[in-house]
Order: sequence, then C-alpha cells, then structure tokens
Amino acid sequence: MSSAMENNILLKTDSYKISHHKQYPPETTVVYAYLESRGGDYPEQVFFGLQYILKKHLAGQVVTREYLEQGIDFWHKHFGYDIVNREMWEYIIEKYDGYLPIRIKAVPEGTVVPTGNVLMTIENTDPKCSSLTTFLETILLQIWYPITIATNSREIKKILLRSLVKTGDPSVIKGQLHDFGFRGVSSYETSAIGSCAHLTSFSGTDTISGCVLAHNFYLAEEMIAFSIPASEHSTMVSWTKEKEREAYENILDMYPNGIVACVSDSYNIYDACEHIWGTQLHDKILERDGTLVIRSDSGDPIEVLERLLTILYDKFGGAVNEKGFKVLDKHIRLIQGDGVNMQAIKEILELLERIGFATDNLIFGSGGGLLQKFDRDTMKFAIKCSFVEITGIGGIAVAKNPITDAGKRNKPGRLKLVKDNDDTYRTLNSIDHTEEYDAAEDQLVTVFENGKILCEYTFDTIRANCDIDIDRLDSINFM
Amino acid sequence: MEDNILLKADSYKISHHSQYPPNINIVYAYLESRGGDYPEQVFFGLQYILKKHLIGQVVTKEKLAEATKFWTEHFGHDYIEKEMWEYIIEKHNGHLPIRIKAVPEGTVVPTGNVLMTIENTDPKCPSLTTFLETILLQVWYPITIATNSREIKKILLKALVRTGDPTLIKNQMHDFGFRGVSSYETSAIGSCAHLTSFYGTDTISGCVLAKNYYSAQEIAAHSIPASEHSTMVSWTREREHDAYKNFLEIYPTGTISCVSDSYNIYNACEHIWGEALHDQVMARDGTLVIRPDSGNPLEVLERLLNILYAKFGGITNDKGFKVIDKHVRIIQGDGVNLKTIHDIVNLIERIGFSTDNLVFGSGGGLLQKFDRDTMKFAIKCSYVEINGIGSPVAKDPITDMGKRNKPGRLKLIKDHDDSYRTISNIDHIDEYDKADDQLVTVYENGKLLQEYSLETIRATCDIDIDRLDFMHIMQTH
Repeated sequence: MSSAMENNILLKTDSYKISHHKQYPPETTVVYAYLESRGGDYPEQVFFGLQYILKKHLAGQVVTREYLEQGIDFWHKHFGYDIVNREMWEYIIEKYDGYLPIRIKAVPEGTVVPTGNVLMTIENTDPKCSSLTTFLETILLQIWYPITIATNSREIKKILLRSLVKTGDPSVIKGQLHDFGFRGVSSYETSAIGSCAHLTSFSGTDTISGCVLAHNFYLAEEMIAFSIPASEHSTMVSWTKEKEREAYENILDMYPNGIVACVSDSYNIYDACEHIWGTQLHDKILERDGTLVIRSDSGDPIEVLERLLTILYDKFGGAVNEKGFKVLDKHIRLIQGDGVNMQAIKEILELLERIGFATDNLIFGSGGGLLQKFDRDTMKFAIKCSFVEITGIGGIAVAKNPITDAGKRNKPGRLKLVKDNDDTYRTLNSIDHTEEYDAAEDQLVTVFENGKILCEYTFDTIRANCDIDIDRLDSINFM
Repeated sequence: MEDNILLKADSYKISHHSQYPPNINIVYAYLESRGGDYPEQVFFGLQYILKKHLIGQVVTKEKLAEATKFWTEHFGHDYIEKEMWEYIIEKHNGHLPIRIKAVPEGTVVPTGNVLMTIENTDPKCPSLTTFLETILLQVWYPITIATNSREIKKILLKALVRTGDPTLIKNQMHDFGFRGVSSYETSAIGSCAHLTSFYGTDTISGCVLAKNYYSAQEIAAHSIPASEHSTMVSWTREREHDAYKNFLEIYPTGTISCVSDSYNIYNACEHIWGEALHDQVMARDGTLVIRPDSGNPLEVLERLLNILYAKFGGITNDKGFKVIDKHVRIIQGDGVNLKTIHDIVNLIERIGFSTDNLVFGSGGGLLQKFDRDTMKFAIKCSYVEINGIGSPVAKDPITDMGKRNKPGRLKLIKDHDDSYRTISNIDHIDEYDKADDQLVTVYENGKLLQEYSLETIRATCDIDIDRLDFMHIMQTH
C-alpha cells in the first residue's frame, strides 16, 4: 500500500486543488484550459514530453477504490478535515472504471511552434467532472521541462550547424553536443526526461536513463544515442602524478581502436598535450586506428582551447579544408566539457573561427547547462482556464487580466492552432476570431480521451519533426 | 530497466574498470560542497537515495543481461565489467560491497568539509566506488534545497523576533513548487527537503516521500483550502464579488486563502473584501489570507497592507509594529526567493508593520532554480590502495586551483566550540588516528545501518532563536 502512494493520481496535485471543486460557480459543467509559453528569449519551441506524462500518470485505470481511500485519508491528515470531492471520484470509478473523463488535444510531438501559441488544451468530457480539468494542471504543467530542454538543445544545434556549414563538415552535427548531465540534475526521473528531450536534436549522451525512457515511452526499438569509452579524473590520478604518462598510455592500450576520450587536465593540460600526448605518445596516437579526443575540464575555455588547438596542430599536423579552415589530423580531437551552455558555445565557436580552426575539431559536453539550469520562467509556461460552460448560461470565455501585470492576461475562449499557407502558426480563439474559428483546421490533435491514448509518436518521428533543414538555415530564426 | 543499477551511471563509467592502475584494491572517494554563497549546509537526502537505488539485492543475472545488451548497443562494443558484476551476484548475493559513511542527516556543517565517504569493501570491486558517483552525487539537490530553505528561515525568524511573533515561523514559507519542477520525483525530494525547516506545503509528494523514506508517522506538513484564478474568473468579472462571497460561505471557519488579483487587486481589497464583504470577513471564525499574484511585490504589498489596515483595523504590538485584525492576512506567492524575501521583510519593517501579517509562497524559487554549481558539489577520489599499499591521490589542475581535492582518507571533526573541520590522514597525521569521526557508517554491503526520521532531522537542523544574533546570515546581493 505504501509504495502505491507515489502512483496515486489523487496525490499528484497541489493541495489547494483538492478544495477547488466547491469554488467554481454552481452547475459548472465544462472547464477548458490550455497550455502556452508566454514568452522568454526563445522564439520557437519544440513540443515534447506529453506522451511520457500521459503514459506515466494518466492513462488507463488510474482511480481505484483503494487509491481513493488512501487519498482521502492522507488529505484529511494534511488539511485537518475532509474536503476531497468524494462524489466525483466515486462516480469516475463507477461510470468510467477509474479512467479519467478528460480530453487532451495537443500539437504533434516534435512540432516546432513559435512561442505565444496554444500547444495543448484540456477539458472534461463528463459534465459531472468539471473540476478534473484543473486538478490535472500540476502534473501536466511539468511538461515545461522537456519542452524547454528540447527547445534549448535545438537552438544550440542551429548555432553549431551554422558554424559547421561555414567552417567544416555539417555531417558531424549529431555527436557534437554530448549530454554529461546525469549527476547534475535533481533526480533520476528528471535525468531521463531531460536527456531524452536533448536527444530529439542530438545522438550523443552519457545519461543512459534518457535512452531507457525513449525505449519505454517513445517506442524506440533501436538504441537512440551513443557514447564512447572515456576517462575521469579518478582513473587518471590513481596512477599518481609521477605516472601520468603511464595512465594515458594505458588508455591507448586498453582501447586500441575506435574513438576514446581522455581527460587531461589533472595537473597541467598544456604539459599533457605538448609533452605527453604530443611527444612521448605521439607515434602511438598516429598509428592507432581511431581518434583520441582530449578533454579539457578547467580554466577559461577560450584561453585553454586557443592554446590547445595551437599545440595540437603543431604536434600532430593537419590540413586546411576547402573552406579555408584548419582541421587537426583525424587521430586527434578535443572535447570541451566544462562550463558549457549556449552562450559559452557561441563564444567558443567565434574563437575557433577567429583563429582559423574548423568547428569539426571540437565536440562539446554539457551537464547542468544542458539539463538543470532552467525553470518554468525560462519560457514562461502556464496552463490557464479560458472557457467554461455553466448550466443555464452556456459557454463563456474567461480570462484573468490583472491590472498589476498585462503579461499575465490569458487568451479567452476555446482555441485552435492553425497553420497558414506559408507554414506559419497562429492561435485562433472562439471569441476574437468568430468568423474564422469554426471552419479553421486545428493542428491540435486529440491525443488522450477518457483514459486512452489515441495517438502515439515514435522517437524517430519526433526527431524528424524537429530536425533542421540545412538549406533553410539562413532563413531560420536564431536567438 | 529504470530499476537497474547498472543503468544508473554515466556511460563512461562502464569503461573505467580498464583504466585504473593494475592491482588496485581500494578506491575511496568523498563528497563536499566546494563553496558558493551559502556558508553552511544541511546534510539531507542520502537515505532516500540509498533506499531507492542501493539497498538490498540490486544486482541479478537478469539485470546484468539486460544491461549488457543495452550498453553494447549504446557503445557498439561490449565494455561492461562482466567479471565484477557476476562476482557480486555470486559472492555477495547481488548486494553492493560498498561502505558509505556520512554525517547524520540534518546536521549543519560549514561548506568545504567532507560530508560523505564511499569505498569498496571487497578488493575485487574497486571500480564500484566511482561507478556509484552519478546517483550519489544527485544528493546535491536535497542538500541545496534544505540549505536554502533554512537560510530563508533565518531571515524570517530574525524579522519575527524584531517585529512580531516567532512562533509563526513554521508556516511562513509555503511550498508552491509542484508544477514548476522538472519531474514528480524531483518534486518529492525537493519538497521534503524544504520540510526539514518548514511545515507548510502544497507539494504533497514531499509528504509521501517523508512517510515512505523518512519514517514520518504523522503527516509531515499541512495546507489550507485556497482558490486559484480558474475558480475565480469562471464567475466572470461582473461576478467577482459573488466568487469571493461563495468562497467565504463554503469555508465558514478556519484559515483559507483567496487569490485576488484576477482583475484589480487594489479594488478587490478596498471595495470587495474591505467593504462589501467586510462584515462577513470579521464575523467569520477564522482567517482570510488574501493572495496577490502579480506586479512588483514591494509596491503591491505596501499598498495592500495600508488598505487592509485602514479597512479592518488592527493593533500595535508590544514591539511597536502594526498587526492587522486577526481575520485578515496576506500571502505573497509570486516572485518569491531568498533575495526578494529579504527585500520584502525589510520593507514591511520600514513601513511599521509586523511580519506576522504576511506568509510567503514560493515555487521555482524554492525548488527549481538551483543546480550543482550553486554550492559547487563534487565527489572526488582522494585515496587508493594498490597491492595493499595506500596512497593519497588528488587532481590539482594548473587551470583551476578551486578544483583541487583534499587528499587521503578523511574525517570530519567537531571541536570543543562545536565547530567542524575536515582532517586527512595525509595532512594531519598526528591527529588523524585518534580523532573522533563525526561521519557515521550508514550503509555497508547492501544494508542500511542507520536510519534517520524526519522528526530527528528537523530537530537537528532547527534554529535556536537565542543564538540568531550569532548566526551567519547570508548576503543576498
């Protein structure tokens, strides 16, 4: 019984929502709400993560007698008295066998939509369950996270692609931003959701939980992302400083072919690159059937990378590509895994271009900057009630409109997301756009209804939906 | 697969067993916060991680097979240390031969000290220590949240001592963060961490976690009926008064909260609550807590306090500050974090009101806007044994002195004046052996050796009002 509490939908909502059923106008039969990102710096967003939430929390028989009693008991202790809407939950158990009488429409996962548009709508399908809509707001609004991560990673992809097109080989893009975030997120579950969101745009990760999630929730039959053997400081410093060379040589011996990464800043990265890799182990590296990726993990990236590229090009040679930029010998590459976020990547790419090196020479790794340093305010996500139906009154648009913040006003009425001939999106509502509204084709698809998932998206499809067309890079909106 | 310990480590750690020096027997690592703005930290959250991920028979033949397949697809090659995992299944019945020592949960320790150490207990499993780093290092999160909430508690307590009633502290910082965190699991861990210092939450998952993982016999925290915008705007603007009236009627007694900024918070307070419903509010056996949710908090709160004091009256307390009539209070639930709380309590005091008048609610600022760099958490290998001979190890990058780690085996010592410091068997050889280690073995060979209840943890990190003046209060720039 105790483990079931974490799986009890009645205990997956903000406390105050237990009290809301009595606060609506009497005979409210429909409550309709919608999700949007109200702004922030990102011009467009990747819709992702709803399917995980639906499958994990909302699909199937989520209400049972046992869960109801457990929920009532717990809430009673929490409030000091009993305010659960028992009637509604018992009705859901009797009439719907514990399936939620809710309809959720959403834009297909992977779709890229400008901010300020409706992404998802939620309404109750049974007039006796009107408070259910906003009861589910809490768990549904956690979708802010996978959307934000998927969006941020895609924005970085734009920047990297543009740079690769300019200075090197765009086909390396998929492995160019590697996820190091497993330890730096707030929980295992977050690591899985966030890393999977990142993988809608990239294919390299060390956060294996994301691959597990894609397999379990996004029908990924094949492995969706990859990694390589790589060292960490403990496997280097355990040899002690005197045996730094032996530690590095052992890496080359253990992995005689393929790509392998080696963190090299335990003591002095410049010395390691110039004398150990660059001199003592030089021949071994060049004879190896594969690439050694040297990892720098401290210091100012701009300063360190400039020195390292110069040292390594000097020691290992390379060539000038047809775009006029230097590419290191293919046996050597660099990975910058410290202090990496969108801003740092921009600066580093500018540096490389300035000193005449192709972006191909470098891969990025990012942890907190990729998966943790974001919040609901980053893209200003909110779910707001915009329409209700009340017996005797009919349907009415509702909107908050605080004098203290015009930005917090919501769109009124029922909403549709429409796509114009030029492939641009906009949101129509049944109040402001009455002429257009009824005939308009809604891009939102019913994905969940009465406890059943009606539409499933595979990870492959999602990746295709949010992919970036290189030929259209110049017309794409960069942040 | 989500419950497979072999799939709970960064990919590269699968490859590490081949990278250690030959004949390595022991790998010893430790956890510390290397700095950041917080002067001291509350150690919390390890017990959850141990119970959830590491206790009991976590390795089985099935899990090994499942993980081997998954990792092979991921790398394109089989790198897994099959021998070690099979050995753990055979010799240790799938229990992890690891020893974890840690400071008791709830203990408050200055940053820059060892908090936890990890080492393998079986010389055939040295790579296991750092294999577990990934999942163990996620303890950065509950420590950071518990620490931040306690820093907020210091500020609020100081203000209550100066201007009002310190017994109100328990419910003065309410958790609104359930929707604004990155996952259900994070909501549970974070809200429970907050509850080591406070007793009010809407993030019920934290109470569930406290019960399941921290032996909370009683419910860990409470809340009250409260409205949200949808339950107010569904009445439409013309019927704002009816919405509020209905609210008072369905909750005739007790503390309740009503968001009042849907259209015009000043109008709502002055004319609807303050006039039309004034008598009903005063006749009610309980407190109405009015919630603004937009605008600049400093501006809004100053106006609201004055409006409500004018409409409902109140008293000047024995500390010389105005307290509104007990039937009305305010909750500020928008834009709240450590810094803005500091600004707000300063404002309230400056305009002559007691901080009794106000309760805070916080979501992202309480549970989400933090990361591993906030308190610079890291787990580092500091000691190994090769062929039975121990030696300290330390990274010491020329490119960043802050990244140097403490060398050797470590103990956390408490001096006579109750202050903490860390000693190592390298730098403090004379002291080390005899010193009394504050770190306690909490986990060994798959078993939990120490359990801490939320009750104990709360007592351990509680704040003594009489010592508030000597306490280190953070700068909030």
